[in-house]
Amino acid sequence: MGRVITYIDAITEALDQEMARDERVFLIGEDIGLYGGVFKATKGLQKKYGEYRVIDSPISENLIVGAGIGSALVGMRPVPEIQFADFVSPAMDQIVQQAAKIRYRTGGAWSVPLVVRICCGGDVGGGLYHSQMNEAWFVHCPGLKVVMPSNPHDAKGLLLAAIRDPDPVLYFEHKRLYRSVKGEVPEGDYTVPIGPAEVKKTGKDITIVAYALMLVWGMEAAEKLEKEGISCEVIDLKTLLPIDKKTILESVKKTGKALLLQEAPKTAGVMAEISAIITEEVFDYLDAPVMRLAGLDVPPIPFAPPYEKFYLPTVDRIMKKARQLKAY
Amino acid sequence: MKVAYEKPKVEKTIKSDLELTNEEKKELYALVLKSRMFDERFRKLFRAGRFAGTYFSGVGQEATAVVPCYKLLPQDFVGPSHRELGCSIARMPLRQIAAQIYARSHSPDKGKSHPCSYGYKPSNIITPAFTIGAQAVLATGVALAFKIRKEPYVALSFVGEGATAHGPWYEAVNFSAVHKLPNVFVVQNNLWGESVHARLVAAFEDFSHRAEGVGMFGVSIDGNDVLKVWETVASAIARARHGEGPTLIEMKTYRWYGHSEIDPADYRQPEEVEFWKKKDPIARYEKYLLDNRLLSPEEKKRIEAKLEAEIEEAVEYAEGGEYAPAEWALEDVYADFKVEAPDR
Amino acid sequence: MKVAYEKPPSETPSEFGLSPKEKKELYYLLLKCRMFDERFRKLFRAGRFAGTYFSAVGQEATTVVPSYKLLPQDFIGPAHRELGCNIVRSPLKVIAAQIYARANSPDKGLSHPCHYGYKPANIITPASTVAGQSVLAVGVALAYKIRKEPYVALAFVGEGGTAMGPWYEAVNFAAVHKLPVVFIVQNNLWGESVPARLVGAFEDFSHRADGVGMPGVSIDGNDVLKVWETTAPAVARARRGEGPTLIEMKTYRWYGHSEIDPADYRPKEEVEYWKKRDPIPAYEKYLMGNKKLTLEEKKQIEEKIDKEIDEAVEFAEAADYGPVEWVLGDVYADFKADAPDRP
Ligand SMILES: Cc1ncc(C[n+]2csc(CCOP(=O)(O)OP(=O)(O)O)c2C)c(N)n1
Ligand SMILES: Cc1ncc(C[n+]2csc(CCOP(=O)(O)OP(=O)(O)O)c2C)c(N)n1
Repeated sequence: MGRVITYIDAITEALDQEMARDERVFLIGEDIGLYGGVFKATKGLQKKYGEYRVIDSPISENLIVGAGIGSALVGMRPVPEIQFADFVSPAMDQIVQQAAKIRYRTGGAWSVPLVVRICCGGDVGGGLYHSQMNEAWFVHCPGLKVVMPSNPHDAKGLLLAAIRDPDPVLYFEHKRLYRSVKGEVPEGDYTVPIGPAEVKKTGKDITIVAYALMLVWGMEAAEKLEKEGISCEVIDLKTLLPIDKKTILESVKKTGKALLLQEAPKTAGVMAEISAIITEEVFDYLDAPVMRLAGLDVPPIPFAPPYEKFYLPTVDRIMKKARQLKAY
Repeated sequence: MKVAYEKPKVEKTIKSDLELTNEEKKELYALVLKSRMFDERFRKLFRAGRFAGTYFSGVGQEATAVVPCYKLLPQDFVGPSHRELGCSIARMPLRQIAAQIYARSHSPDKGKSHPCSYGYKPSNIITPAFTIGAQAVLATGVALAFKIRKEPYVALSFVGEGATAHGPWYEAVNFSAVHKLPNVFVVQNNLWGESVHARLVAAFEDFSHRAEGVGMFGVSIDGNDVLKVWETVASAIARARHGEGPTLIEMKTYRWYGHSEIDPADYRQPEEVEFWKKKDPIARYEKYLLDNRLLSPEEKKRIEAKLEAEIEEAVEYAEGGEYAPAEWALEDVYADFKVEAPDR
Repeated sequence: MKVAYEKPPSETPSEFGLSPKEKKELYYLLLKCRMFDERFRKLFRAGRFAGTYFSAVGQEATTVVPSYKLLPQDFIGPAHRELGCNIVRSPLKVIAAQIYARANSPDKGLSHPCHYGYKPANIITPASTVAGQSVLAVGVALAYKIRKEPYVALAFVGEGGTAMGPWYEAVNFAAVHKLPVVFIVQNNLWGESVPARLVGAFEDFSHRADGVGMPGVSIDGNDVLKVWETTAPAVARARRGEGPTLIEMKTYRWYGHSEIDPADYRPKEEVEYWKKRDPIPAYEKYLMGNKKLTLEEKKQIEEKIDKEIDEAVEFAEAADYGPVEWVLGDVYADFKADAPDRP
């Protein structure tokens, strides 16, 4: 049975249900226990499962992820939390040198079934240190899987899939969506597979590829554009590594035009890769250059409210870009 | 379906036996000697170009790596660094070690990591990352898992004194101290981290002071005294096993040769090297055994001959392997997903 | 062309004893910090500026006092709760402007309201990354040592920040090289919602110093004169080239981690206990008892501060946000980012 809940409640529910089901699952991170998370994503879980299933760590990001990895080596299913994506940097070594490489460096003997939950994203007035989208850093690391849901249904299903996955998964959750997005979520157990993208809306003129907040805004733009007579097909990428090329390429073959949305700074972002894949593989089908609308190439995100609006690819900007692409 | 831990198969109470029997003392002798002989042989093989990469010799430091791993339980975990041949000597088949160094298809890592990244899942030794100090973090996570599951196991991690300047190592020892995790942190102070002297790494000589900064029990010992290392580590392990928390042990020792075989180590004074060679842990232990009639010269010879044969056999095994097919490079990235190889 | 350091002017080391006048000035600064802080909490609640606000009420002594009577060339690496350092060294208008993130803010509104920094005061605008500025302070001190300058860097963190690997790397390096740094650990018992017992396996965080071979001391951070008597000699020691010191100051933040945090993870009795140990009335009592401050003077000081704060708020509120093109500047010295698809 489904009911309508928020994105953040879907996350809490997934954690709760999986902890009840699987005794190996535990959480570790800053302020996740006593406080229930700075955004309350882990609210009530320490009370329910105890101090050693929901561990309030010191401010030691390297340890938070590294201890997760170590415990995974001996059969646990850790779900460490990074309070803000901006503070994943102290844990980089553990993520890129350990988690991503352990299966490989041991010839498949050991593995790291770990999920790092990372709270990311802008349009919340967070300034330079509480707004960042740095998923691209990790999409460059084979051995990791990177997912980012854009709605409550996927938030729960992807998180459950991630925890059950045999490999390390970075699960980015967009803080702007926590309470602003609601949707139907089954009460029971289900997973959303890691890998496949999803066509959220069919269309014939333009393929829009996006994830997280950009997907939400891309859908809004697409619906408005429909009324103007521009028909967009919108793809929710959901998994950023490994990339579901097939869904993207099939759509672009049909529409001949691709508009790629990205909240992070433009240069060398995830959409640069998607663009390269499209031009490498379906160049002959293109009727226009692949176009990207992205954040600016400045340290993300400048604080003052007008600056943040200037930085972000807003719905209006998406529509403008789509019109430009349609007219090409 | 509900998922539960696999339940541990050992007793929850473990008697702390710090005393070694005479047989065990001899066995320990054979192990430190095996580490030495294997190491010297592989230095030669490297110089003869018989395997690729580099080689990190642990000669001179046998006691600090071999002894702590002696008589651990199979479920105990070892997080080594780059110079812990000795841990593997104590817990792994010699063939696997040799195969690791040769990086052929029958190496535990299939040749993917690095010659001296000794690890072996059945021995519960994690193939190390090269990032200095990193396995101390993993060992802390392992110990956390043992604590959560209320299992009586212990996680050992090994670093050099150089690595104790590294933030991640500190985050790990601090967390372990706060939660009284079943860890033993071994710091092998061999005075040099590559070419950097210990005095540029810390403002003191005794690295056990590191423990004070995190409120952990810490001790500095002569790492070239086999029995001292045994007593200290065995009691630390017993403490950890009984839930009394972690210990940091600084073991003062010395690497006889360069950081790796391509390093002439000419930043060190010859007198310093000579001084330490005189404190050879194996010769000292041997003298103790001979003096106390726990070992006879004939036995010593027999042991050496046996080790020689074992090493020979291991080298043959390693050299008998081929490099793995190149396509193996695409495997072991994910469990369920194979990487493509465009344009190959 | 050869490049040489700019040579510093010769300076005299700071004096530990405070004159009656200085004691009164210190009182004025502490009170200014408190009053400014309480005012800005209200302004935040009234929605007058964006973002969040991190109050330091209760911790005035630990930031104001160590920053008092430093040389202009001395450097301060603050974290997010070091309003007090700025109260001593930056004009009030500048602090207010920072919080309002308008065009007249020192950072042009690019960073975050409570990231107080000001180049003329030699206070670096902090990153949020906990303990980040302690590492910078060590780098600054290294530069002073290389150039043989008699300056000092102060590095502020909370007890929570001492669990960070980078903080440890910094204090360790400072100890090895006897760098002119004073590390101030403000132990306010809580790092957001995480109690100190989950951060260190001891109560006295000065033990951290033992792990790197540095002198360390724990003091009552709410005792103004004690803080002065401890930091001033540590600063002087550093200035003389005798190396760093770590000072744990036990204190308490009265309110939430930020203004949106109800801080209901703390027992009420604990908050009450610490409010009774308010650093300011205790110091005031000392001054009055020693006839260094009269009721009349106190009133005058309060009025003066009120006026200063009014002016600062007016200054901040009168300004507009910077033009959006400012977003593209200050990324590089010589290269401006472009703004595709922006109107
Ligand atoms: C994080 C990191 N930095 C640098 C290196 C390069 N490196 C490898 S070994 C080594 C010195 C290690 O010294 P120490 O920890 O004392 O161990 P030892 O080699 O003496 O056994 C360095 C700098 C590395 N492997 N990892
Ligand atoms: C590296 C990093 N991790 C997490 C955070 C989020 N965060 C901001 S302040 C804070 C608590 C800081 O505690 P403490 O150092 O004791 O300082 P206090 O707030 O008590 O002054 C946390 C976890 C951060 N800013 N940086």
